[in-house]
Amino acid sequence: MAQAESAGRSWRKPRAPREPRSGGVRRLAALLANYQSGGLLIALLVMGAIFTSMSKNFLTHRNLTVILLQVSIVGLVAIPQAMLVLSGYVDLSVGSVAVLAVAMFGQMARVDHHSLALSIAIALAVGAGWGLMNGVLISYLEFSPIIVTLGGFAGARGVAETITHDVTQFGFGDKFAYLGNGTILSVPVPAVIFLGFFLVGAYIWYEMPLGRHMMSIVADKIASRSLGVSTKLIPCVLYVFSGIAAAAGGLILTSELDGASPSIGIGLELQVLTAVLLGGVAFAGGRGSLWGVLFGILFIGVLNNGLILLNIGPYVVNLAVGAVLVAAAGADAFYQRLERIPVAAAEPAAAEPEAST
Amino acid sequence: MNEQPVVLAVEGITKRFGAVTALNDVSLELRAGEVLGLIGDNGAGKSTMVGVMSGALRPDEGTVSVDGVERSFANPAEARAVGIETVFQNLALVPTLNIAENVFLRREQYGPGMLGKTFHRMHKSAMRREVREGFERFGVTLPPVRTKVSALSGGQRQAVAITRAVLWGSHIVIMDEPAAALGVKQTELVLSLVERLKAHGVAIVFISHNMQHVLRVADRIAVFRLGRKVADIDVHDQTTGAHLVGLMTGAA
Repeated sequence: MAQAESAGRSWRKPRAPREPRSGGVRRLAALLANYQSGGLLIALLVMGAIFTSMSKNFLTHRNLTVILLQVSIVGLVAIPQAMLVLSGYVDLSVGSVAVLAVAMFGQMARVDHHSLALSIAIALAVGAGWGLMNGVLISYLEFSPIIVTLGGFAGARGVAETITHDVTQFGFGDKFAYLGNGTILSVPVPAVIFLGFFLVGAYIWYEMPLGRHMMSIVADKIASRSLGVSTKLIPCVLYVFSGIAAAAGGLILTSELDGASPSIGIGLELQVLTAVLLGGVAFAGGRGSLWGVLFGILFIGVLNNGLILLNIGPYVVNLAVGAVLVAAAGADAFYQRLERIPVAAAEPAAAEPEAST
Repeated sequence: MNEQPVVLAVEGITKRFGAVTALNDVSLELRAGEVLGLIGDNGAGKSTMVGVMSGALRPDEGTVSVDGVERSFANPAEARAVGIETVFQNLALVPTLNIAENVFLRREQYGPGMLGKTFHRMHKSAMRREVREGFERFGVTLPPVRTKVSALSGGQRQAVAITRAVLWGSHIVIMDEPAAALGVKQTELVLSLVERLKAHGVAIVFISHNMQHVLRVADRIAVFRLGRKVADIDVHDQTTGAHLVGLMTGAA
């Protein structure tokens, strides 16, 4: 009988024969996970307080508006990106898709003299189309997300350069300028767009079943599919929205500058990814909070702004963002280590002889 | 001795994989509130039988009837729809979600009013309450329902997966090695849950290598060997582990 017993179990890894430890470590890990974004918020507030005390220009309506405006484009693109990373995917093509959409827009509006509305619609459609291509290749054909979107990173910019021949289009008129420079109730239009989409994103993330389904995709594809989670459709749709958000971000920036410059969107993918990861979304997926992403975006914005106000050079800003990101990775590794300990200890003595006859 | 209605009946099931006949004319019956133990050596046909009953495999010959109605399952979802839930070894739990979120994954309830109806706002507190009440009803002691599954022990995860099956309205639960690789305490959690579900009228197919577990919870034991059912024993007749092993190996 003991033989039948061990035959059935022999494929399992032997576990350390330990008695379960108290739930203390586990509870601490859960607490840290729940308050990861809270910790970032506290850091954000502390940093704000320091800048306020060091510069009288920091806590002014005008400066806060500037910060909001500066983070809006990265923030807008970061919302679908955060959902992709949560689901275990990534989109590195957003910066290049932004420039491709803008190139298309410039060509349509200024060279071919189409209407503004049609040009905007086509630009957004280009973003959606590129996102759909990413989604089909990655989600349905199961190509590697990093490689496909890295291909898009080079490819979309290449297409954009072919369209523009490296010529910057400008002079899109006052109506279009409103998109990037107007205000609604003294809040910049880009910030209104960003915050509006953030609220919609947070609703999906926290209040709709979809948020949980995204989290479940990466954790256990077989399990979540057997329960009926749309493990292919959800990431595909997220890629489409990532493309649309990139195109919209590019258009907003074009409006702010009144120029469809081919250099738009350089480095956007890394800024977006930095904000998402700083916000506590695990790069491996399955864990994270959209509020944390908002705090991450604001953290970078405030850090940039404050250091500039204090006349500290841009090199230090980059250094600071890099250091903070590494610190976030450290916090994440620490949290994961805490989470692993109790799970191993909670399943003691798999092959203890007294369990069989 | 069990006068309950037959809820699951498989008759004359044969399943071949190429030249291999995994199941050869096997029939089983399961009544409400009964635990049927399924034992046999590796390759005896237990897993194939589970596949047929859960809708994952289509038999070459034979029929599956649920509550007296003959059924043909194209996939596990169809089996689930008529009340058969299989708790596989991988459990289909998402470690990064909490207990309540796992129980209601893909079965989320929407809140009242327009937000719930039109915008699919979940009724989180109602779902948590229902999970808590479900655990209470079946006497399962688990950490708070907001605890992530990654923080649970193997036995606790098993209990979550089994309770989920019953909460979703299944009256036939198939458990594939539910106590494998569990410690003594954890095993007790699972076995006592099986006993309580039985008392609630749930019909259970219990597959295990461990004779002690089977002898403790099962009312009847079907012994499989080389694709055939070689014995169908009422456990209440003084069955011993040694006798069963003899049947499994062909020595008896």
